[in-house]
Amino acid sequence: MRKKIAILLLLFFLIGLLGGCWSRREITEVAIIMGTGVDWTADDRIRLTVQIAKPGDFGAGGEAGAGGKEPPAWVVWAEGKTIEEAERYLAMKVPRDIYWGHSVILVLGEEMAKKGTGMVTNFFHRSRGPRETMWFMVTRGEAKDILETHSELAKTSAQAAGFLTRMETSYAVQSREFAEMLASKGVQPVVTGVEVKETGKAHGPGQENPPVEKEVKLSGVAVFKEDKLIKWLDEHETRGLLWLKGEVKKGAVTVPSPGEPEKEVSIKIRRSSTKIVPEYDGENLWFNVMINVEGDMVEQQSREDLAKPEKIKALESAMAGEIKARAAEALEKAQREYGVDIFGFGDAFHRKYKKEWRELKNRWDEEFSRADVNIAVEAHVREIGLLTTRASTPEE
Amino acid sequence: MPEKGKIDSKQAVLLMISMILPTAILTIPAVTVKTARQDAWLSVMVATLAGLLIARLVVSLSLRFPGQTLFEFSEEILGKALGKMVGFLYIWLFFLYIGSGVVREFGVFLVTAVMPATPIIVFLIVVTAVAGYAVRNGLEVLCRFNQLFIPVTGLLVIVFLLSTLDMKLDRLLPVFDAGLAPIVKSAVTPTMWLGEIVTLAMIIPYLSKPKEAHRVAVLSILITGFFLTASIMEALLIFGPNLTGHWIFPTFNATRVVSIANFLERLEFIVIMAWVLGGIVKVGVFYYAVVLGSAQCLGLRDYRPLVLPVGVILVALSILLHGENIVEVLHYIPHVEVPFLLIVFEVGIPLLLLIVALVRGKGGKSN
Repeated sequence: MRKKIAILLLLFFLIGLLGGCWSRREITEVAIIMGTGVDWTADDRIRLTVQIAKPGDFGAGGEAGAGGKEPPAWVVWAEGKTIEEAERYLAMKVPRDIYWGHSVILVLGEEMAKKGTGMVTNFFHRSRGPRETMWFMVTRGEAKDILETHSELAKTSAQAAGFLTRMETSYAVQSREFAEMLASKGVQPVVTGVEVKETGKAHGPGQENPPVEKEVKLSGVAVFKEDKLIKWLDEHETRGLLWLKGEVKKGAVTVPSPGEPEKEVSIKIRRSSTKIVPEYDGENLWFNVMINVEGDMVEQQSREDLAKPEKIKALESAMAGEIKARAAEALEKAQREYGVDIFGFGDAFHRKYKKEWRELKNRWDEEFSRADVNIAVEAHVREIGLLTTRASTPEE
Repeated sequence: MPEKGKIDSKQAVLLMISMILPTAILTIPAVTVKTARQDAWLSVMVATLAGLLIARLVVSLSLRFPGQTLFEFSEEILGKALGKMVGFLYIWLFFLYIGSGVVREFGVFLVTAVMPATPIIVFLIVVTAVAGYAVRNGLEVLCRFNQLFIPVTGLLVIVFLLSTLDMKLDRLLPVFDAGLAPIVKSAVTPTMWLGEIVTLAMIIPYLSKPKEAHRVAVLSILITGFFLTASIMEALLIFGPNLTGHWIFPTFNATRVVSIANFLERLEFIVIMAWVLGGIVKVGVFYYAVVLGSAQCLGLRDYRPLVLPVGVILVALSILLHGENIVEVLHYIPHVEVPFLLIVFEVGIPLLLLIVALVRGKGGKSN
């Protein structure tokens, strides 16, 4: 018995050795990519830019003082006919094994996106390294500039961009979701837009002219037709897009105060849902969109007493009106100007009219541009925070 | 009798699940979703019903000849010469064919998804060696090995539950989009996988309570069908019908998507664990069927001398039979091998044997 136990223990400790050294890669031998950018250069080549983490600097990177602290990331780029080719040229500059598994973002330059994402995304889905959950974004400008920015709060600008997307203030797309939208005939892809913003830097004595820092900022969404970028929606229109897509998770609606229209009231959104109901009689196509939203009144500039049922009702209808206007604005732009269904109305139609879909799907964007859309918003204000009325509310 | 071990019904059910599920979970979603799109889960339900029928057929046939395996009773039904021929067909075209296919798929998955730098032959030899060791030690050892590691397959359920955050029910709509034909058509592949329950005919004689064979078969098929449906649903609900069919291993990719609070992620290792451990058992069951069947056909008293040569044959065939590259593997296995195996070995011959047995009045009354 004792002998058996000894043998078992021996075998158990052998496990440590059996892990083996095949394909072994130590952390000091891999270049961990945090962010990836792809641009289309002036001489028609693909430029792959990567932001590589410098793990040694990660621990100390955030500490204050020491003035010109090195950023904990290194940005390099290489060109090629395909992503893989560019990656191989990149490997001539990076003295480590390139490891894709931690890439947080995949950002395309505007020219690349106009040329077509088909030339880019395949590599990232086919390879084992990059994750399907990478945040996908397009920049107004060059992807290289996005990766070369710095971040005050996050370790690297790629992580900062990833966190910004995750906050769900704009429309967030993972690379697998982009692929899904691209494959569906009932929706055209929209992708998070980002841009470079110059920020000042806190400066103390002896630093009268602080260096200008560049940070990443969310900036609307990029609208695609098939895999090509055609137009942009600004932040304002993006909210409308989110309402129609049912993707509003955070945010606020600001409406004029019912009694004093020149002052504003802000309602913070708690939850919302959007339902698209298509109707089709063989000739006419129309959609009923129902948006349900609940929110808390969090700020009033006016001095009137809003803590009255009829005032809350008035606020609710003002809120509904504001949301409807926002949604209608984005819809108008998509239908009349861009002529693409970025809201997934086609998918909704497909779910309800599967036979008719077969005829319409190949000319869906034209059908969509002609369709009538009725938007109905039901808004509820549930909470008003810790105050009833302002202390300075005049007595009636 | 070459095999002296006995297993109980619970072990048999677990063994049958491990025999069907590992390869099914990885390869079937892509194949079925390609034709049936978002209705692929209905295809699996159709396949489960068909699987139940096959199970019923095989168990009824087997129970007419208590204590006899497929190879023994086919000789009794058809006579010595014809019976032996059927036996050899089963060995070469069914058990060895599928067994070597599984060995190959085992290697293909690990090389494609996890360890690209390792030569595939390493995986092929390792899995065959481990399975061979279990087979040499008999059915009981194989079953206990399986019992020890099948909870890992249970872990898959947890992964599925964790991935619900990324799921949207809309992706399954509309139901019956393409109509009935694609659903039935893409049910063929999962039916073949579930029809591997034919192998139960090799194991029924060694059940401690052979009378429970019907229950064993039904339970195995239902549980396997459930897991298979769940894996297809998982992939569909995460990727939608347009994307799912384009991954080689949709279930694997679906688990890669799981990310809870940016902390609990990279759970694909659970799929890999289930695959490696389940793959060993799956290879083991077919390996066992080959050596036991050969021993019975050849009238040997012991099957153990056959283990090593059959192992060599399995590894060789896994390379020779199923195409030269992954594209051919993905084409041959579901589109060429599957319909043939299903029609001939899972339905055709058992049905023929049952009819002949009934006509010639062979065997006791079926329970």
